[in-house]
Amino acid sequence: MIHLQLPAALAALLAGIGVYGVLARRNAVLVLIGVELILNAANLLLVTAGSRTGAPFAAGPVLTLFVITIAAAEICVALAVVLVLFRTTGAIDLTAVPDLTDEPEPEPDPQPDPEPEPDLRGEVRS
Amino acid sequence: MTTRDIVFAAVGAITALSALLSVTTKHVVHSALWLLVSLGSLAGCYLVLGQELVGLVQLLVYVGAIVVLVLFALMLTRAPIGPHAEIDTPAWQRVVGALLGAATTVLLAALLLPLFSGVTVELDGGAPGGTPAIAQAVFGTWVWPFELLSVLLLVALIGAFAVSRLVLRSEDETVTARGEVRR
Amino acid sequence: MSWIVRMIVVLPALAALAGLLARRQRLLAAGIAIGMSAYVAVLAFIQWVAPARTADIESIGRLSTGALQVPLHLLSDRLSGLVALAVAVVVLAIQVFTAWYLRDDPRYGQFAATVSLFATGMLLLVQASDLVLILVGWEIMGWCSWLLIGHDSQRPEARRAAYKAFIVTRVADIGMVVGLVALAVRAGSTDLITVLTASGHDTALTVGLVGVIIGVAGKSGLIPFHDWLPDAMEGPTPASALIHAATMVAAGSYVIARLFSLYASHDGARTLLAVLASATMVYAALLAFAQTDLKRMLAYSTLSQIAIMLAALAAAPPDIGFAPAIGHLVAHAFFKALLFLGAGWLSVLAGATALAALRGRLHGTGALRWSIGLGLAALAGVPPLIGFFTKDSVIETSIEGATGGGGARAWLVVVALFVTVVLTATYCARAWLLLDTPLAAAEPQSGGSPNAATGSDVPEAVVVAEEDLAVVTAADSADDAEVERVHAHGHAPITLSAALAVATLAALTVFGTLLLFSLTGALKPGIVSALLSLLLVVGAAYAVWTLSDRGRHDVADRVPSHVRDRAVRGFGADTAYVGVGRAVTAVARLVVALDRDVVDAYPRATVVAARGLGRVGERSHRGVPSLSLLALLAGVVVIAVLGVTAWR
Repeated sequence: MIHLQLPAALAALLAGIGVYGVLARRNAVLVLIGVELILNAANLLLVTAGSRTGAPFAAGPVLTLFVITIAAAEICVALAVVLVLFRTTGAIDLTAVPDLTDEPEPEPDPQPDPEPEPDLRGEVRS
Repeated sequence: MTTRDIVFAAVGAITALSALLSVTTKHVVHSALWLLVSLGSLAGCYLVLGQELVGLVQLLVYVGAIVVLVLFALMLTRAPIGPHAEIDTPAWQRVVGALLGAATTVLLAALLLPLFSGVTVELDGGAPGGTPAIAQAVFGTWVWPFELLSVLLLVALIGAFAVSRLVLRSEDETVTARGEVRR
Repeated sequence: MSWIVRMIVVLPALAALAGLLARRQRLLAAGIAIGMSAYVAVLAFIQWVAPARTADIESIGRLSTGALQVPLHLLSDRLSGLVALAVAVVVLAIQVFTAWYLRDDPRYGQFAATVSLFATGMLLLVQASDLVLILVGWEIMGWCSWLLIGHDSQRPEARRAAYKAFIVTRVADIGMVVGLVALAVRAGSTDLITVLTASGHDTALTVGLVGVIIGVAGKSGLIPFHDWLPDAMEGPTPASALIHAATMVAAGSYVIARLFSLYASHDGARTLLAVLASATMVYAALLAFAQTDLKRMLAYSTLSQIAIMLAALAAAPPDIGFAPAIGHLVAHAFFKALLFLGAGWLSVLAGATALAALRGRLHGTGALRWSIGLGLAALAGVPPLIGFFTKDSVIETSIEGATGGGGARAWLVVVALFVTVVLTATYCARAWLLLDTPLAAAEPQSGGSPNAATGSDVPEAVVVAEEDLAVVTAADSADDAEVERVHAHGHAPITLSAALAVATLAALTVFGTLLLFSLTGALKPGIVSALLSLLLVVGAAYAVWTLSDRGRHDVADRVPSHVRDRAVRGFGADTAYVGVGRAVTAVARLVVALDRDVVDAYPRATVVAARGLGRVGERSHRGVPSLSLLALLAGVVVIAVLGVTAWR
């Protein structure tokens, strides 16, 4: 027999810690760690709720498995993005002011000495 | 307080403590390692709650795969070894972050604790939703979402690949464009 | 017989197409153009001898246009037969003449094909029994006139003249279209017979008749629209002959003749027509007198003569009808084509079309001298040429209209006609004296001239005249391209066939009166008016003869030079056109500016606002990521707290 208040409290605690982790880190990979903690808090809550008697379809554990899978996919894509960011800018510091000039403005076409307007009248006369 | 309560409190304390350490430590690599401890002990929590399968999957996927992936990412982004002062955001942001984290905790606790107050589950005579029941549910009720998940994994894989390829090409273009401009 | 009517329209169109395809082979193109027009002339002759007398000849079947009946019928009667014959003969003569005249022109094929298409337009209009077909023919001629006038498209003057003709007639065509639509709406059908017999709807009738008059004023060069016609002399001389003689400018008279029974019942429209025509015939005759260029003089005389036809339509009593006007149309077709072809011939011989350069060049040219002489005499109205009979029929008809209840309108026409008779005789006599008096005779060595008393002036005048001649030869000829061509290469002597074409027209000028007997009422000269106009003609010619000292001087030099210079330039009508164009453009610019800067300001303001919002969003979006995360999570927590509180 177990009191379910304990896992619920742990879930709330983990979520708070995760939020702090997201906000306290400037390294993008470490921010992802915070996100993982929040996800695990959600998982724990699912398992806890699924442990109650009368939960249909074994929803708690099954949804937890799904969330784990989705978390795997998420971390995969997120790390790809982080790596690309690192390769492009050389840093993954989230407090850095983004370089606003990375998209080069469409420069005005270099006008190589514009030709003078053809003088139609002159042509006609000649 | 039953035995399970005590065991859960102990494992849960380890989980919470290692999670806290993982978000506060000054060592980049330690952070990932503390995450490993936290997730592993969370698998222990699942075991205490009677969900062996979820606990084992947690170990396999999170501890075995995701944390390793994070470690790889840290290495590839040339994370510094040893304590590093520049790992955290400015102090005022951390204070606000702590406040927000506390607020989240309080909010969730205020919601969840009344919901679960006094709710107990008898797990000793075999969990009501054991592994056979989960297997039945996954390949019965949840079979379509399950198949959809496999597609999602595939898409995520291709997406990750495509993201790196696409951005790499545009990176080349910007480089050449800048080179021309410089010239 | 109805197939003949159809073939008369279709064959020139086919000739135009084939001529365009064969434009590179000069001989083939000429063969197609001349052969087809000869065949059409034969068909038109057959149709004139035995008209089908029906207005129900199917052309391409009726259009399915709902409530409006558009049968697209052709017709064939005495009137259409006569005019179609005149058109076909003149076109044939012009095609034959063109084959020689434009012998060295690299774009002869296109020119001949365009002439064929032009003939299609006129013949379609003549034989149309449907307002839609009339409009189609009308517009074909408008387009072809642009092509023909701008034939020498490398010269800016020709291009300008072409655009001027096109735009001026196009502006007037607005009235034509509106008028024809009003008439069709009134009758519920575009069939000519239905339109003529419909009744009621006086407003639609007024709009229709006045609109048609405006359109006719544009194509026929009545006074507000008259200035395009002299400028159209920039085209090659055969094009001028075609436009002026039988087709485009005369088409207006024909359309009004077709609608005559409607006009006969509507005094307001006829009064408008009478005023415009009277003013135009006198004004154009005055300007013709002052011109320094032979072709421009002929152009102004065309304006005057067309106005005579329209005046006849405006003043004729209903029982006589349109016949005198059509008679004069046919007569004018013959003698004006003759005059233009003769002028082209002469310009080839002399290398210029300026009167100063042509002085005395007619002397000793045999057939050409006879042709131009006959043409000028017919234009002036000398018996027994065709011009005398038709002009006198017009005068007699107008007098009958005036005495038969036509009132002030008809009297205005009668007075204008007599004034025009005098003026026409004056400028014809001047032209003849200038062209025919040998230059040697104009040398004032012999005494007895009025200038002998002030002998010191005379050599000076001669020097000035010779300088004028040089300047005028180089700069003032209308048909510059031809002049340049002749100066550069010389020109082949006239071929027998081209001379024969001119001679045929000359013969028609003499004997063409016989053709007019086919149309009832076309010839009704009155003895008194005939004698009176003859007296006026002789008097005017004698006055010119005396004033010009037997042809030794240009009688127009007696006009004060500042008046004359402005008359040569048409009294600034061109400037007025440009002013109107500028005003319209300015109004258009104003409307565009209003639309863009006032009406569109509100939609564009939303665009600017949206873009500004987008910029703001972009800036904030690209802020520091950690701060953004902070704000995001704070927002989430706040919303969650709010949500939980509200849920509680």
